[in-house]
Amino acid sequence: MRVVIAEDQFLLRDGLARLLAAHGFEIAAAVDSAPGLLRALLEFRPDVSVVDVRLPPTFTDDGLRAALAARARVPGLPVLVLSQYVEQLYAAELLADQAGGVGYLLKDRVFTDDQFVDAVRAVAAGGTMMDAEVVGKLLGRRGADEPIGLLSPREREVLELMAEGRSNSAIAQRLFVTEKAVSKHSTSIFTKLGLAPSDDDNRRVLAVLAYLNS
Amino acid sequence: MTERWRLRNLRWGAGLVAIAVAVVPTLTLMVPHPWAVPLVALAVALVWPHQMRRVVPATLILAALYGFVMVDNSSRWQLSLGGMHEYVMVGMKYVPSSLVILPLAYGVLVLGGWLAWRTAERTSELGRLVFGQLAEPEKRWHLWAFLLVPVVLMAGELLFTWCWFRGGPLGVILSIAVLVATHWLVTRHPGLALRMATAGLVIVGVAGVLATRSPDQAIAIAPGQLTHVIWPPGSWMVDGVLVFQSGTLPGPALIQGLAFAGLGLALTPLAFPELGRLAGLATDGELTRRVQRLTESRAVVVDTAAADLRRLERDLHDGAQARLVALGMNLRAAEKLIPVSPDAALALVAEARATSARALTELRELVRGVHPPVLADRGLGDALRALALDTPMKIKADIDLPDRLPAPVETACYFAVAEVLTNAVKHSGARAGQVSATHRDGALRIMVTDFGVGGADPARGTGLAGIEKRLAAFDGIVAVSSPVGGPTMVVMEVPCASSSPRISSS
Repeated sequence: MRVVIAEDQFLLRDGLARLLAAHGFEIAAAVDSAPGLLRALLEFRPDVSVVDVRLPPTFTDDGLRAALAARARVPGLPVLVLSQYVEQLYAAELLADQAGGVGYLLKDRVFTDDQFVDAVRAVAAGGTMMDAEVVGKLLGRRGADEPIGLLSPREREVLELMAEGRSNSAIAQRLFVTEKAVSKHSTSIFTKLGLAPSDDDNRRVLAVLAYLNS
Repeated sequence: MTERWRLRNLRWGAGLVAIAVAVVPTLTLMVPHPWAVPLVALAVALVWPHQMRRVVPATLILAALYGFVMVDNSSRWQLSLGGMHEYVMVGMKYVPSSLVILPLAYGVLVLGGWLAWRTAERTSELGRLVFGQLAEPEKRWHLWAFLLVPVVLMAGELLFTWCWFRGGPLGVILSIAVLVATHWLVTRHPGLALRMATAGLVIVGVAGVLATRSPDQAIAIAPGQLTHVIWPPGSWMVDGVLVFQSGTLPGPALIQGLAFAGLGLALTPLAFPELGRLAGLATDGELTRRVQRLTESRAVVVDTAAADLRRLERDLHDGAQARLVALGMNLRAAEKLIPVSPDAALALVAEARATSARALTELRELVRGVHPPVLADRGLGDALRALALDTPMKIKADIDLPDRLPAPVETACYFAVAEVLTNAVKHSGARAGQVSATHRDGALRIMVTDFGVGGADPARGTGLAGIEKRLAAFDGIVAVSSPVGGPTMVVMEVPCASSSPRISSS
């Protein structure tokens, strides 16, 4: 699986490259600026890319904008965006095209390497991975009288993990329940929220996030 | 007895007195009293302030017609626009001309308008019609500009005597035109009008004083004379020809001229502040107030900056710094444990990792409190959108800020809005709100609304006062409206120019 890495700090770029290489990824390019990223994305069309939001030349959100520009030209080009801060606004911008193949995670998540590598693989497969912080804030904006208030605490947990982009089996593992129980919860959640149920993991995540973002 | 009720009775009383003063002399003299038209207008203005829109033009037209009829009926007349003493002579009676009645009516209307406006609501149509820019409180000192009306009349006597003394339709039209033009100048360009009035007063005063210096005449013809005599006493008409001199005695003319010139000089520091400053005669009140405001807001800024730094130091000391110390100790312990008990060392390393994650989280929150990332990345517009998204309440963001604004203004306004939203979440019980922002005519205007219980009291609590002080550093202002039952609305306005177009998000 070929990956493009964009990170301006040498140590982190090097570390990411080693980590991903150790997990069997092929490093197509490791760049340190937004223009370099855009060129690499359009030239190599990698299976997935790992992008730092803050990149030269302006050290603001250049990385995010380069990733969005590349996705505008190549719809669904898988991009996992890393940042020191997660912003709802940027999450909403990444999700706006509804094309999937998007991730938005805090940089610290790189420390837990297996989870991080899982996230990279999921994005490469067209999935959507959102940081727990984004999902938490999305849920926090909801009043108790909305349909979301009808969810049981367990269903709420499942919804959070679903919105982060986790599969049924991953959720089951996390909550120490069976996959069957998870799928039962998920059906109940979709009914209570008035969403059309879907077996497709990716479509399910997008539906949940669209609902939370509305 | 409520204040409103008292004011209403006062207006009614004054209105009735005005009507009585207008009607009684008219009945006794058997001719319409010259004051009748303006006095009735004054009464209407007092009793029905809302009708002033109709009363003003109607009164001016009536006054013009009244004077026109009088002038037309007179076989012989002599009049001037200059003062109230100048009457048309018809036989033995003195009858006022339109050229006297018109400015009289105008003066009374302005007075009545002002009284009615003081007792009624200040934002009325009337305020705008009669006072134009003068209706704004900060222009209050410009009320002196109304002096331009008498000054124009008096200067007219001095400069355009021929036109002014003309009666008939031309005179009426001319006088109305002069009045309208003067009123326009006074209410639309009060500063200029005040300067003209001041200069005019000095000129008319000096001209009056000079007129008394003519050695071969017993009386003086001074502009705008307030006293009037016929000289020599007892002279009248001989064979249909007037044989007398009409004017002012030198003594009163001198006093009057000196008084006009004195008033003009007294107004000079107000009308020409630059002159006053040059001469060191007067301090500029506006400048003094501005210096005071700047001193206050600078003190606040310095205090806030110092407090912010102290908070930052404390947060770093108690938070990230403490975590890093713990991290180092954990790693050191693990180092020692590795050969002895690898399992225990592993647990310590895991703990160290958790500590480093917590330190990162705290640093993140700290940076967010100092300078939020989106604000740095994208500017105030997107930062407010992000803030709306981050608020645990549904906030509709209606932002129209295409350009970047000066960074200090952006930061101050961002934290002001954040504070208002935090208050809304804590106290309003609202489930929805709205943030709108525009930058127009050199001013940034932000409105934060929540549809909660309302009843927020700006006087209580320090949040709003803090916002007010911080924005004051940029000459910004804050207004709050929060009726019981909601909604609560906070409006902030900061004058600023846009610094650069936003980097387009490609």
